[in-house]
Amino acid sequence: MPLNIDWQQILLHLFNFLILGIGLYLLLYKPVKKFMKKREDTYAEREEKTAAAVSDAEKTREEYEKKLAAADEEIAGLRKQAALDAENAGKAIVGEARADAEKIVADARAAAVKEHDRIVGKAGDDIRDIVGKIAEKVGTSNDVDAAYEEFLAAAEKGKKDGKD
Amino acid sequence: MSQEAKSIRQKKKKIVAIAVIAVIFVALVIGIVFTDPLYSNPEDISEVMNDAVLHGENKISLFGLEVNPSLISAIAVTILLLAFAAVVRIFFIPRFKRIPGKFQLFIETIVGMFDGLAKGNSPHRNGFLGAYIFAAGCYIFVGTVFELVGIPVVSTTGHSVSLPAPLADINAAIALGFLSYFVIMSGGIAGAGIRGVGRTLKDFSLPISMSFRLFGALLSGLLVTELVYYYLELSFVLPVIVGVLFTLMHALIQAYVLVMLTSLFYGEVSEPYHKKKKEHKHAKHTHNDANAVVQEV
Repeated sequence: MPLNIDWQQILLHLFNFLILGIGLYLLLYKPVKKFMKKREDTYAEREEKTAAAVSDAEKTREEYEKKLAAADEEIAGLRKQAALDAENAGKAIVGEARADAEKIVADARAAAVKEHDRIVGKAGDDIRDIVGKIAEKVGTSNDVDAAYEEFLAAAEKGKKDGKD
Repeated sequence: MSQEAKSIRQKKKKIVAIAVIAVIFVALVIGIVFTDPLYSNPEDISEVMNDAVLHGENKISLFGLEVNPSLISAIAVTILLLAFAAVVRIFFIPRFKRIPGKFQLFIETIVGMFDGLAKGNSPHRNGFLGAYIFAAGCYIFVGTVFELVGIPVVSTTGHSVSLPAPLADINAAIALGFLSYFVIMSGGIAGAGIRGVGRTLKDFSLPISMSFRLFGALLSGLLVTELVYYYLELSFVLPVIVGVLFTLMHALIQAYVLVMLTSLFYGEVSEPYHKKKKEHKHAKHTHNDANAVVQEV
């Protein structure tokens, strides 16, 4: 053969290379690739987990933000309602107090009128009694000065009784 | 210790180092001069070069079978690589950590590089391709660097032969070139059926070009090395550049070229067939990429 090409040696070289190829694949290439793939998968899994955790955290944050916003709204509503209620209650209390005060004033006025009428009535009776007694005494005694003194004493006494 | 004493010690060290280098240099020169007449190669340089290309004369006995020295190199490289792989598999891989150390990083980088190359050039099918280019790349690189070791063996004619790179033999280059072609074809069949076979057969010159490119590149290195080592005077200092640097460089380049071409063509032929025009354009584009790489090489 030209160039000393020898089919037997070509086949021997092929056989040698096949052994080398298979050996290198089984001993080095495959296990190293397997290790690298495993590591890659681990990192990918970690990344996935991290992404999921971040996503969850984001969701939770959004949820809490929504809840906070709702709570804020609720608080504002409650505050508004409470202010309204307080205003209404205040108005009611003031109205009630005013009514009570008016009643007290009216009662007091009525009692005063009644008392006034009673005192005036009693004073009239007293005056009538005193005048009657004086008229009696004036009729029995001629001494005008003594009668006058008696009238004054009776009036003084009446005044004292009224005070008591 | 005072500064003066320190500087005196450093000066002494320098003088000793310079003296040692000078003695080695003088010894080498004396060795070259005195050993030159002692060394005589029984073969003529043209015979050596001819044998390096054709391996017509110096055969090695392998279990009674006369084979070229490169086959012995190939077997030695295979044993070396498999032993290394076994050691890594048994002692290192079970201790691999999530955050890699230097050695783990080295192994992972190599595997990751070939895997990435396979995925990048053949996105549709790349499991088998990755394993193949990993083995081929390691084989070409280690095999080419192997010639640096220059393990001497005795040929059947009684001459001493240093083991060459496995792919410096046309038979090894043909084996790898054709195997790569059939791997590409298998990708075509797996990815696109009969159409894949058609796509592969379209580039019928590929196995020949792949084989001879490998053979030519590695043979040139071998010839230069043979030439340099033939003359004893050239065997000092010069091999550092010619031997080590050139060998390392073409080991890298040839490994990259074969791996790249195989993965590019594999990606092209294994692409599933689509009736859409756009996809067709993409396939054409990939084909153009592969051809551009071939032309560049």
